[in-house]
Amino acid sequence: MNYARGIVATGVYLPQSRLNGDEIEAAWGTSAPVSQIAVPAADEDALTMAIAAARNALDDSKIDPRDINHLAIGTTTPPLEEEEFAPRAASALGLNTDCELEAATQSTVAGANVLLSAAAASGPALAVVSDAPKGDPAEVGQRVGAGAAAFLFDEGGAVILADSATRSRDAPGLRFRERGSETVEELDITTYERETIRDLVSTAAEALDIDHEAVDGASLYQPTPDIPHRIARALPYDAETVERGTLVNDVGDAGAATTAIGLLAALDESDPSSVTVAGFFGSGATAVALAFETRTAIDASVSEAIDGGVSIPYAAALRERGQIGETEVAGGGAHVSLPSWQRTIQQRYRLEAGQCPNCEAVAFPPEGACPDCHKRVEFDKIELPRSGEIVAVTVIGQGGAPPEFVELQRRDGPFAVAIVEVTAGDGTARFPVQLTDCEPDEVSVGDRVVGRVRRIYSVEGVTRYGLKFVPE
Amino acid sequence: MTDAYIIGAGQSDFGSFPSESYRSLFDDAFDEAIESVDSDFDTDRIDEAFLGTLGVGGRQLGLSGPAVTEHLGLHGIPTTRVENACAASGYALRQAVMAVRSGMVDVALAGGYEVMTDMSGDHTKWWLGVSGETEWERLSGTTFAGVYAQMASAYMREYEATKEDISRVAVKNHANGAQNPHAQLGFECSLEDAMNAPDVAAPLNLYHCCPTTDGASAVLVASEDAARELSDAPVRVAGAGAASGRVGLFQRDSLTSIPASETAAERAYDEAGIRPDDLDFAEVHDCFAIAELAAYEDLGFCDRGEAPRLLREGVTDPDGKLPVNTSGGLKSKGHPIGATGTGQVVEAFSQLRGNAHVQVDDPKVGLTHNVGGSGGGVTVHVFERIDGGEL
Repeated sequence: MNYARGIVATGVYLPQSRLNGDEIEAAWGTSAPVSQIAVPAADEDALTMAIAAARNALDDSKIDPRDINHLAIGTTTPPLEEEEFAPRAASALGLNTDCELEAATQSTVAGANVLLSAAAASGPALAVVSDAPKGDPAEVGQRVGAGAAAFLFDEGGAVILADSATRSRDAPGLRFRERGSETVEELDITTYERETIRDLVSTAAEALDIDHEAVDGASLYQPTPDIPHRIARALPYDAETVERGTLVNDVGDAGAATTAIGLLAALDESDPSSVTVAGFFGSGATAVALAFETRTAIDASVSEAIDGGVSIPYAAALRERGQIGETEVAGGGAHVSLPSWQRTIQQRYRLEAGQCPNCEAVAFPPEGACPDCHKRVEFDKIELPRSGEIVAVTVIGQGGAPPEFVELQRRDGPFAVAIVEVTAGDGTARFPVQLTDCEPDEVSVGDRVVGRVRRIYSVEGVTRYGLKFVPE
Repeated sequence: MTDAYIIGAGQSDFGSFPSESYRSLFDDAFDEAIESVDSDFDTDRIDEAFLGTLGVGGRQLGLSGPAVTEHLGLHGIPTTRVENACAASGYALRQAVMAVRSGMVDVALAGGYEVMTDMSGDHTKWWLGVSGETEWERLSGTTFAGVYAQMASAYMREYEATKEDISRVAVKNHANGAQNPHAQLGFECSLEDAMNAPDVAAPLNLYHCCPTTDGASAVLVASEDAARELSDAPVRVAGAGAASGRVGLFQRDSLTSIPASETAAERAYDEAGIRPDDLDFAEVHDCFAIAELAAYEDLGFCDRGEAPRLLREGVTDPDGKLPVNTSGGLKSKGHPIGATGTGQVVEAFSQLRGNAHVQVDDPKVGLTHNVGGSGGGVTVHVFERIDGGEL
């Protein structure tokens, strides 16, 4: 048996939409910096993608979410400039309230921080790197993508963190975002930038106590496709080794997440006893190199995630990312107060329902009298399955949405709303849902759908998250 | 216990009147109701009022009922504002009937009012969603049309009904409403128009949805003694049924019917001692075309899944066996939420007294059916003609 602590399961998540470089070239008349970028939907952000990747990692393992001791999330795009967001992820994933939580923000090096902290924690620990940066559509915006990677650490790891090394230098201005701004900026002082990145990442990697000749995959800081190769010139890694961990041409520059997703790609089906290097970098500047040794091959399913995309036109990508179409609606949103929303949060995230101890009927939401025997009972808690069948559906067209969904509709277009029926106990339960990541006109009664945590709506500056459904 | 009788009923024009107030609209309805009383009616005879409104726009959310009766000069009478969404004035009528039957009140005013078209688009959308189930249904992003559209999707799947089937509701009701000078959309539409209109919430399109409407309606409910004294041809409230259901569609057992309608109808029929076969006409709650199909089945006009056939065979046309929505219904006449329930009674009163715009041949018994939300509260009233001298 192998008791060494390491990665026991992984998860990747990419938004469904892809913007091809051809679209960018047609829109701007210049060559596109990357082949394609993954575009987050209007109801996605770093938090929802982190939850999705972490859920994939948990599903890939036999570990009960309640046994997770430590959750660390790295991103440069937390939903708010100030406020804890890890508790929301923990709640959505069903972790216990005594789980250690950590958030690393502020820099694209954040991915390394969360991997190190999860590796050093005791017991089952999740490191999640998720990001959805924005940039000026004429500049950085032409290459920014989105995605998330999750790494579940525990005893008996298939992949062991063998060593780490850090190098830093007082070197600002390569990539930054001013207070109050949503868009990443670069000064474009080419030589200064390239030298800083190459020197710091390559010297950190060189400092790893490993056999560099055994390295057969490397995910090096990759804001553009050329940078990892420039870094590798100072290292004994051939182009194929670097390419295994480079997927900026597939997902775009996903901020802190690109190197982490690249690491997953390099680890995907890596040979036992091979070594994989991740070279994280953050402007300012810090580089952290991590070396991983594969004990048993893992299936990280990265290529499936990349292949699962749907191309969208350029204008749609601008809309989805909220670069056009943002609005404030007069009158605000529905009068569901924040405390009353939070009171139902486990129903919103995990379909917590109630079973009547008297007649065994299932109540969703689990409150009030039993829907079947109409007795006022104390329901037994059960969790409904997150996949079910559409039993009624309609499409809310442009202009018809309730005000709290007007911005979503401006950004994402018409959406379908359905009543979904799931099996529960000996019977069924129903609840109303919004559908996402689908063509609303193509959904019909009888279709199977599955739940995903997404942004539902924002009011008074606070975003409500909950389950939406996508075709199975 | 005395019976309750309708001795007068009137409505304002239904339409878009953004410069009117809920009080000025009620003036018109009240005047027409007073005018319809056979005797020279002294408004001091009114002992109590029950007025329905959802309160769209939030304007006078508190105490709008007393604001109306004081505005009318009905000084000092007790007034209760009744809120049950689109069934607000159906329930106001029920309260008035109960008050009269109990003997506490000799003459009661029941009515309703709503002003909906004076707001910005954003505010209108906000208010149009408040009668659905708020915490789950609305926060799935659905609108009111959306909930009925979900019903339509399930109904069409279950009974293999077609877009043509639901479009026939619009054709029939517009043909009737075109004869009604109070109607908001008093024009005819062809089956082709109704089938090809732009979608509002698929499968429902513009012609499958009622408009947003300003308007008011008023009904005078009297005891047997007062009816005998004040009216030559009072209309007896033969059956007053009502029932509640879960507010959200997803919370109910059926997606293709409104169980509270079925229960309310059973109660009204039992009280009146009639069966659906005895009806000579009905005003049903057709806020969306699918609602009229469901109503036929819930009210026992036909078996489940048979409503499209009734429409196809003209059974519910004015010259059919059971004419439905001769006023134009909510679809053509308009749907000023709080005013709709007693607005239906205006048509029933006219039909039974032989002076409706689309007059059914010699009707003796009619029904009104008023639904709150997508089925959270329903009233069904059965009305019976009292021939001269019977009282």
